[in-house]
Amino acid sequence: MKDIIKITLSLTGVCIGAAVILGLVFTQTEAARKHIEEKQKEETIQGLLGFGPGKEKSSDLKIHPVHRYILTGTEAGTQLGYVVPTKEGKFAMVCVDLSGKPMKVIPIEANPTEMAEAGSRDAAVSKAMPKAVHAQYAESFYVADSGGKRLGYVLPGITQGFKTFVKMMVSIDPKFTVTGVAITESEEDPGLGAEIQQDYFRNQFIGKTVDMLKSLVVVKKPLPADYLNVLEPAKAAKLPAEQVKEIKKEHVKDNIYALTGATISSRAVTRGVKDTVKKFTYRFDILKKAVEQEKVQVAF
Amino acid sequence: MNRNVKLLWNGLIPENPIFRLALSMCPAVAVTTSVKNGLMLGLAVIFVQVFSSCTVAIFRGFIHPRIRIPAYVIVIALWVSVIDMVLPVINYSVYKEVALFVKLIVVFAIIISRLELFASKEPLIPSFFDGLGMGVGFLFGLVVIGSIRELSGTGMLYGHDILGFKPLLVMILPAGGFFVIGFIMALFNYVEYKLTGKMPASGGGH
Repeated sequence: MKDIIKITLSLTGVCIGAAVILGLVFTQTEAARKHIEEKQKEETIQGLLGFGPGKEKSSDLKIHPVHRYILTGTEAGTQLGYVVPTKEGKFAMVCVDLSGKPMKVIPIEANPTEMAEAGSRDAAVSKAMPKAVHAQYAESFYVADSGGKRLGYVLPGITQGFKTFVKMMVSIDPKFTVTGVAITESEEDPGLGAEIQQDYFRNQFIGKTVDMLKSLVVVKKPLPADYLNVLEPAKAAKLPAEQVKEIKKEHVKDNIYALTGATISSRAVTRGVKDTVKKFTYRFDILKKAVEQEKVQVAF
Repeated sequence: MNRNVKLLWNGLIPENPIFRLALSMCPAVAVTTSVKNGLMLGLAVIFVQVFSSCTVAIFRGFIHPRIRIPAYVIVIALWVSVIDMVLPVINYSVYKEVALFVKLIVVFAIIISRLELFASKEPLIPSFFDGLGMGVGFLFGLVVIGSIRELSGTGMLYGHDILGFKPLLVMILPAGGFFVIGFIMALFNYVEYKLTGKMPASGGGH
């Protein structure tokens, strides 16, 4: 009996000690980690839009985030709310019901720095809502404009990978053709599933239109050697630009070639890209209609 | 020879975790498709092994013998989590490379076996050198396997094209891992047989 008490106390002590150390480390590093992650996200978005080292972003590039909230407890049941920036530098929540019918527009009192940070944004949104309504943040997508011209959209996506979730970002042009895919978070096996982060896999999605995505599947065939050469930017730079263009054009209608030993991960990413673009085209259509009908002066 | 140097050498060759003790074979097969993967995992293991060995060596008097295994697991998980949280703040680009490997380490047999066999009985200094030796030995094994597999499987070494063609694609598939580890293990046993004249005892295996 005495032994059991001793063992229990001893194990509890070990756990508490470990928990205290972990807690201390967490409080010390959390803020810095979040800051770095935000910066990384920004860089990923700009990278997908074609900016980065060697190609500085133009000064008239504007990236407008649109946040999607799920509103529960409204008089019309569950609704979706899109937080959009308006022309006057303010923000508005455009509400639509589940069938896509535009509901009302609620202005949100907040400045851009408050809206950029997740915690203060949630607070500002719930303050603007009627008391009974509960707003739950879902996700954000980004609209990129350059000098008054639409550059494209960057969408976050999530899919079930081989082990846990694979988080990604997909960039598409105004016609909804894929222009880039980036894997932001995954825990696939190194050497096998983790190859989804490699250029030669991700770049296979570039140029796929909405129609092509609909019937896109993963095939278990080896990647053609000439295609592989143009998918790696380092190798493509050595080839003449004309030839690169031609090979890309020839293969743009190909299905996705599965990674050796990681068919499940390859399928997961393909499914993720397809779903992300499909959902976005549907949602963006509804949002566009709602914005036009309610005459919201959106900034994009 | 100084005992600490002996301990370091012991982990590297005579009791190499992969080729002699046959511990942590799963990552040794799964991760070593390239030198870089092997190197990153090896570095992460050195850190966790050294920190865990030192922690257990310091607190070995306080840990009740009947709960030592759960206590060791908590110690290993603690250090893995700490590295996982501190590393992105120190250097994010390095973290992005090793994040996958760091999270794998909690369940490695080699770490808990060194805590059980060595650090729980010895003071801090020898435990440190034993942990370091085992970590370096593991890194050495992974890099050797990784370089053989990468060179024969993809014709590259650390991402640089050496051969220009792919001699044996099977080497970067899981089957290749078993081949390479088996052959190197046989080589180790052969050398031991030649040196001592005794048949080597079979390894553990986890």
